[in-house]
Amino acid sequence: MIGFLIQRVLQALMVVIAMSIIVFLGVYAIGNPIDVMIDPASDQALRAALIQRYGFDRPLIEQYFIFMNNMLHGDLGESFIYRLPVLNLILSRLPATLELALTAMMIATCLGIPLGLWAGYKPESLSAKAIMGFSVLGFSVPSFWVGLLLIMVFAVELGWLPSGGRGPTTEVLGMNLSITSLEGWSHILLPALNLALFKLGLLIRLTRAGTVEVMSSDYVRFARAQGLSEGKVVGLHVLKNISIPIVTVFGLELGSTLAFAVVTETVFNWPGMGKLIIDSITVLDRPVMVAYLILVVFLFVMINLVVDLIYGQLDPRIRVKAAS
Amino acid sequence: MKQNFKLGGSLVAALVLGTVLSGGVSAQTLTMGLRAGPDSIDPHWSTLGSQAEALRHIFDTVVMSDENLGLKPGLATSWKPIDETTWEFKIREGVKFHDGSELTAEDVKFSIDRIPVVTGPMSMTIYTKQVAETKVADKYTLHVKTKAPAPTLPNDFIRLFVVSKNVGMEARNEQFNSGKAAIGTGPYKFVSWEPKGDLVLERNDNYWGGKQPWQKVVRKEIPSDPARMAAMKSGQVDLVNYVPATDYAAMQKDKSVDTFVADSVYFLNLTPNVKETLPKKVKVDGKEIDANPLRDPKVREAMDLAIDRKTLVRVVLEGLGRPANQLMPASFFGGNKNLPERPYDLAKAKQLLADAGYPKGFEIDFHCTNNRLPGDAAVCEALSQMWARAGLKVNANALNGTVFFPAQQKGEFSLWMSGWGTLTGEASYTYGSLVHTADPQVGLGAFNKQGYSNPEVDKLLQEGARTMDDTKRRALFEKVTEISMNDRALIPTVQIQTVWAAKKGMLTIPARVDQETLAYEIKPKS
Amino acid sequence: MSSSPALTLPAETTWSRFANFWSDFRQSPVAIAALIVVVVVVLMAILAPFVAPQDPYNQEALDLFDARLEPGETGSGGYVHWLGTDAAGRDIFSAILYGLRTSLIVGVMAGTLALVLGTTVGLIAAYYGGRVEALIMRVIDLQLSLPAILLALVLVALLGQGLMQLVAALVAAQYAYFARTTHGAASAERRKDYIEAALSTPLPARHVLFRHLLPNALPPLIVVATVQVANSIALEATLSFLGLGLPITQPSLGSLISNGFQFLLSGRYWISIYPGIALMLTVVAINLVGDQVRSVLNPRNSR
Repeated sequence: MIGFLIQRVLQALMVVIAMSIIVFLGVYAIGNPIDVMIDPASDQALRAALIQRYGFDRPLIEQYFIFMNNMLHGDLGESFIYRLPVLNLILSRLPATLELALTAMMIATCLGIPLGLWAGYKPESLSAKAIMGFSVLGFSVPSFWVGLLLIMVFAVELGWLPSGGRGPTTEVLGMNLSITSLEGWSHILLPALNLALFKLGLLIRLTRAGTVEVMSSDYVRFARAQGLSEGKVVGLHVLKNISIPIVTVFGLELGSTLAFAVVTETVFNWPGMGKLIIDSITVLDRPVMVAYLILVVFLFVMINLVVDLIYGQLDPRIRVKAAS
Repeated sequence: MKQNFKLGGSLVAALVLGTVLSGGVSAQTLTMGLRAGPDSIDPHWSTLGSQAEALRHIFDTVVMSDENLGLKPGLATSWKPIDETTWEFKIREGVKFHDGSELTAEDVKFSIDRIPVVTGPMSMTIYTKQVAETKVADKYTLHVKTKAPAPTLPNDFIRLFVVSKNVGMEARNEQFNSGKAAIGTGPYKFVSWEPKGDLVLERNDNYWGGKQPWQKVVRKEIPSDPARMAAMKSGQVDLVNYVPATDYAAMQKDKSVDTFVADSVYFLNLTPNVKETLPKKVKVDGKEIDANPLRDPKVREAMDLAIDRKTLVRVVLEGLGRPANQLMPASFFGGNKNLPERPYDLAKAKQLLADAGYPKGFEIDFHCTNNRLPGDAAVCEALSQMWARAGLKVNANALNGTVFFPAQQKGEFSLWMSGWGTLTGEASYTYGSLVHTADPQVGLGAFNKQGYSNPEVDKLLQEGARTMDDTKRRALFEKVTEISMNDRALIPTVQIQTVWAAKKGMLTIPARVDQETLAYEIKPKS
Repeated sequence: MSSSPALTLPAETTWSRFANFWSDFRQSPVAIAALIVVVVVVLMAILAPFVAPQDPYNQEALDLFDARLEPGETGSGGYVHWLGTDAAGRDIFSAILYGLRTSLIVGVMAGTLALVLGTTVGLIAAYYGGRVEALIMRVIDLQLSLPAILLALVLVALLGQGLMQLVAALVAAQYAYFARTTHGAASAERRKDYIEAALSTPLPARHVLFRHLLPNALPPLIVVATVQVANSIALEATLSFLGLGLPITQPSLGSLISNGFQFLLSGRYWISIYPGIALMLTVVAINLVGDQVRSVLNPRNSR
């Protein structure tokens, strides 16, 4: 167990180091961040002074080691643009992104599992086919495009929901959340729906595949033969049996939902982490770029770890099932 | 609450409307949807245009500017040179900071001294670099000694924000962002802000400039054009800035919005690289040649003649612009009113190219920004289309600023187009940077990456920088404008016009050339 | 498990396998329709210079006076712009055809390169086993744990704008899927007795790799490849939308949509909507075909 954890931490470190090297090299290749940030009216002397102040005149390797050294001391640096500790800057955006991602996951689950169950329960019915067609749309249509259409229909044409931004927030457990008010919900609905579509498609397919398999298995036939009602067959056996892979995927998908939020946040002007990274890329705010990636990698490794641990707990049961 | 207008039933709407009306103008909140915002609440952090625009609500500047960037009194009621290198500023009496303390010359001195200590990569020191020393002569008089004669110092001080000396030298962005140090003398008090988020302000009832119409001002940052327009259409905001040309055309038919058009200080200028060799050689008949055709004035003239500026304005910018014949409005200090409009003459352009030895034209790379100014990418593409008519194959590349500026700085472009705004309203700011020979010794020509060098222009610019007499200085700069424009050191194309939109019949928005959207200049329509 | 079909592989079996595959594939009318769409889209993209009324890359062929014509209007070229024109006077229909070309080139190029790279890496891991395998698969697993979009985003931001940069970023973001798939199928085969036997003979390693390990990995690879081509196209569009993809002067479907987005709310819907529909059709059709291929190649169904 301990060995497993150590291995995971080492892995995470490797990714962090690789990512930071890529970002350093990349920003170096693009050019001097000062040239993106500097005021056009500055003269040459000022430019030189700034380059020196931010250490861009030093060899790249030295810049890198200074950064790594600071990081080892728990200091990820300050944003060039805001001069705020990047960690605070990113963490202040985390609640918005988490809120959006979780709402999206919830929408995907609440719609995806029942639809998938139905599609798997009556695979030949027209409605099942329609559901499956919808699921293909869900994960193949690029989400930014769906986002645009959602804005056009619901915000501009119908005027039912706001076109973007986040509603008023209230502090809950130290986090600023917007889903505590009705207005907050009106803001989050469209982006969350947009972000949910991909997962929805995926969940429908997963649930359907699992259901089809379980429905044709011996013990469902046995349960039916015992005279169990259809509701109970589906509710008890099917749901129980397909829940394990779905939970696993749910965990893994949370990570990618956080990453995909980059697109949704840009379309809907949602003030989350994803928007921050896009903004930072456009001004070459290197500390924020590096720190964001490190943080995301860390988040991923943690999620994977938790999923693995849960999976480890569930594993023996799965093996028993497979044997029966 | 605003958007419940549409959501709720008509009864609710009527009730809400009723309250707003009966509450009168003074109880209102102004919600603005703007393209950009500040990077910090510290007014000395950055020269970013949207930073100054946002912070003018909280802090006042020593000198203020009117809609056309003419100077007017701010926290200084008057200023005059008392010798070659000293300016005297009389500080306004009876002005109170938001914390109740009184403004004195000490606060202004503190602000000037503070800038080099706290400013960031967009360094505010460009506005104080002429200052050698500041002396408080008495409570309301400040003497500013300059390193050399500095006729443009009051122009620089349009951006000199005054913070209270009580915040101390130690205060940094965090203290300002949290509101602790955000103590100014401005018409509004700071309530809350976070990076890229809303800036919320409330009225300063003790403002020296008179009572403000808005109880509360919310400055929403919505960088994406479509998102900002959607926010306007769905009623989430009362006004928006930088309405894209395409929406402007549609809005003119829309009965629910008013639009306000203004000339801007921003010009889209072409820059031909006139160095000995080009970073990427041009091709004639598919073969690279060593010579740089752009060094030939005939070629530059031909490219200029092939530009149909009227069509650029009418078609590409959908009317939101003006043909340009110099790098800033002719009305600005040092602008030249005698320059003729630039003609469009395709036949002559072809003839000139043939005379220059390129009867079949040549192929050249052309770079421009795609996200800096309204229409920049579209103008870029249109130009390459116009040059194609003259027989030139111009490969247009519209790039993100992130890629464009470092590459431009490194000298990787042969021909490029970018925007430039004369934010101080006078010529030395623009021509000193763009057409003076690149010379770190005198600190001029920092953005002259094209290698243009004309000793006469250099001499005039340097003389202008020392001349205190306004009339003489103006004449010198007019000459600079004339020579450099006739040399085609840069080729101006169009002046951008920008548009604000507001809910019908609600507001009047003054059309400022610097594009600033200032809540205290926006009045409810009565 | 039955013995491997790859063990004996005469030409006729390959053919009959394909015939079987086809007869299974055409069971689904939806898949057939999707296949037709894919074929038409590919043909249109290839034949774009002959089908399109205008070359949208040729600045001389464009005319500013044709800017923003509504669908159905006739421009200065004397032909009808069925899908309207954009702000530079570019015929949207032509732009879509050429855009499809760019998008498909990006998608197919990125897909193929990722396939080659990923398969090679996966095969090497499966063939050598031991430490090499452990190391390679660790890296692959790590990369798979990061979403492709994030990686592509960072790479495109860092490499700069351009077709090659975009392809490079997409390959880097996607090869791991192929590596994982190849490795999975090949290493299952690797453990079988006959491979062990083949390895103990003086046959060259190449022989084992290409004759035995690779063919076994093929069916799942085909499925992954279709999905990844569709993904590449969608990813390219997304990156272009975020302003990190191709410049407008080199229109792909993504940059067309993104460029037209600004006109969407002002009533000039056609500049963005039609390229969007083309993108949607293409990606959905490829995915539907991939779906059917998957279910046909799935051993559970074919039995």
